[in-house]
Amino acid sequence: MTPVSVPWTDVNSESAVVSAWHVPDRSMVRGGDALVDVETSKALLEVEAEVDGFVLQLVPAGSEVSVGEPVALLFDDEASMVAHLESRAKEADVPRESGEGGADEARATAKARARAQELGIDLASVTAAGLITVRDVEAAAGSSPSAIAPSEPGSPLPGDAATQRLLLIGAGLGATQVADILAETPGQSAIGIIDDDPAFWGRDVRGVPVIGGSDQIATLWERSAMDAVVVTISTSVSARSRFRELCRAAGIPLANVIDRRAKIASGVRIGLGNVVCAFVQLATECQVGDNNFFSAYNSFEHHNVLGSDISTGPGCMTSGEVHIGDRVRLGMAVMVEPKISIGADSVVASGSVIVHSVPPAHAVKTKVVTTAVVPIRDPGAGS
Amino acid sequence: MMLVKELNAALERILTDDPRVVLMGEDIADPYGGAFKVTRGLSSVAPERVLTTPVSEGAIVGMAAGLAMSGYRPIVEIMFADFLSLTFDQVMNHITKYPAMYDGKVTCPVIIRSPSGGHRGYGPTHSQSPEKHFLGLPGLTVVAASPYHDPLATLRALLLRDDPVLLVEHKLLYAEALTLAVGGRIGAALAREESSAGRLPSVLISWVPPEVCTVTVVAYGYSALIAARVLEQLAIEEEVFGELVVPAEIAPLDAAPISASLRRTRSLITIEEGTEGWSWGSEIAQRMSVEAFGQLRRPVDILASASSIIPSSREREREVLVTQSDMRQRIRAAAA
Repeated sequence: MTPVSVPWTDVNSESAVVSAWHVPDRSMVRGGDALVDVETSKALLEVEAEVDGFVLQLVPAGSEVSVGEPVALLFDDEASMVAHLESRAKEADVPRESGEGGADEARATAKARARAQELGIDLASVTAAGLITVRDVEAAAGSSPSAIAPSEPGSPLPGDAATQRLLLIGAGLGATQVADILAETPGQSAIGIIDDDPAFWGRDVRGVPVIGGSDQIATLWERSAMDAVVVTISTSVSARSRFRELCRAAGIPLANVIDRRAKIASGVRIGLGNVVCAFVQLATECQVGDNNFFSAYNSFEHHNVLGSDISTGPGCMTSGEVHIGDRVRLGMAVMVEPKISIGADSVVASGSVIVHSVPPAHAVKTKVVTTAVVPIRDPGAGS
Repeated sequence: MMLVKELNAALERILTDDPRVVLMGEDIADPYGGAFKVTRGLSSVAPERVLTTPVSEGAIVGMAAGLAMSGYRPIVEIMFADFLSLTFDQVMNHITKYPAMYDGKVTCPVIIRSPSGGHRGYGPTHSQSPEKHFLGLPGLTVVAASPYHDPLATLRALLLRDDPVLLVEHKLLYAEALTLAVGGRIGAALAREESSAGRLPSVLISWVPPEVCTVTVVAYGYSALIAARVLEQLAIEEEVFGELVVPAEIAPLDAAPISASLRRTRSLITIEEGTEGWSWGSEIAQRMSVEAFGQLRRPVDILASASSIIPSSREREREVLVTQSDMRQRIRAAAA
């Protein structure tokens, strides 16, 4: 079988129009017979049969074809033409898949395909707004616990009914700090830890078991397995804020966890869900919101007003009457002058000395005097 | 349907619907039907309003100006955009100035259509994308055809306005299918239109939700089509995600959809087939340096063709014009 194509004659023409067929469809022709006239933008061309055979027209007269595209097929004999027609009819019967790539082939990036295979995830079960990405595959793996085959989550400790039984959120390093404080706090005990990363499940922090993901929180509350929640995550104020909202919506109270070496002065008002580490000072008449994480050696001078979901590094120090908004993140060793206000959602770099108020959602950068580390020269060497 | 047929159908429709419409140009009537067949068959639809003209671009556009001031809506075809230079005096000194010079008593809504662009081996004077020389002419709107904008909607919107328009149609787009956003998608990509009041829409295309994209790619016409292919490859093969912004109106600039995307991605690259320097991309870069100062992750990148004539040899032409591999490399860098 030989295709009969529109010849490329001039650079101006991308396409040609079939103006007339000289031979009937499916008829026998001789090599050199004129088959068809095509018109490009520059010329009317006559296309001839190169060899003897049976001609099968692919396009009717009047239609436009691209240059190089076949307008007819030339078969050696009638039988091969009939065979071709039959197989073409069969193809036409197969219903065409809608969309691209077919129904069973989910659209995914190459990396997502590899990751899905690694995790044993069926791409067809992954939903994504656009292409399926690695992140989508991992999210799907995270929501179906069997996929990654994590360790079996443990059960909560019974807890001492005489104490406030706490569920900790976050199994990272913040949890070790909180567990440490609780070990010295007679009125409170930790019954378990929740973390959405299945890698932590089944482990324990200072003897407190990690018992599953955040979907467990409401269940434990309904089963009266705990009395309150404390968020131990110090690295993300948005995570702190999200879990506080989740507990609020479920009607679950938050609890303060305060190191016994913290100094809480007279007239201080403090909300719930605050983690206050060792040697923190909250001076006279400070007002503190909910769900903050104050690292060690923070000193908030008198009449500070601190919002909620704040997280600080160690060694931060404010002077009197400072206001700090919700979800502010302070690096370590941040110094704040009197009466300064730091707006909500702002971030302050370590070592900053804040002398002007910071509007909401701003970053405070500072130049830190950096140090260079070099090997000590051996006084005896080279002599 | 191929863009050339969509354009043909759109022109036929407005010829039929609007008796003020007059098509003019060299060899646009049948049987030739125009060098790229955009007007094929239209001289049979309205023989008195589809006029084949002498070979004088200045005269054609001058006549169109007269018709426009007399209440007609002339749509002129300049056979190759390279010949737009011959219309420049009419556009710069007359068409765009008449309304002000006649104290607002006349309008001069001439639409000039012209096939532009290279990659065909047509040589130095039939391959250019000279629209950049028309950008910033006071009173002139410059529009670029794309696979993502319905030509009928564009022409209808332009007929409702009184400003003169240059409409460039990259000649490689004629054989491409028109692919409009349907139900928030174009094929597998997410797509939507955004426009400021009274402006033609920009189409925003991405392969993952826009929030996940790390570069904004702004391109028009044929470059937009190639950029879309590159972005799809980068997404699938490398998980490099960009959001493509395709304006229809390239001047004056509708900056809002670009800056909205830029606020998400914080990195911008512009792509155009015209020559580099003093270009569409430079204007966008300047505007965005004002609107997004301090938010940009890296300097705006401008990808354009080399400052050179366009050789006839296809091989050498590729060394001068913006290519798919240039785009891939530069978009990848801008997304980092």
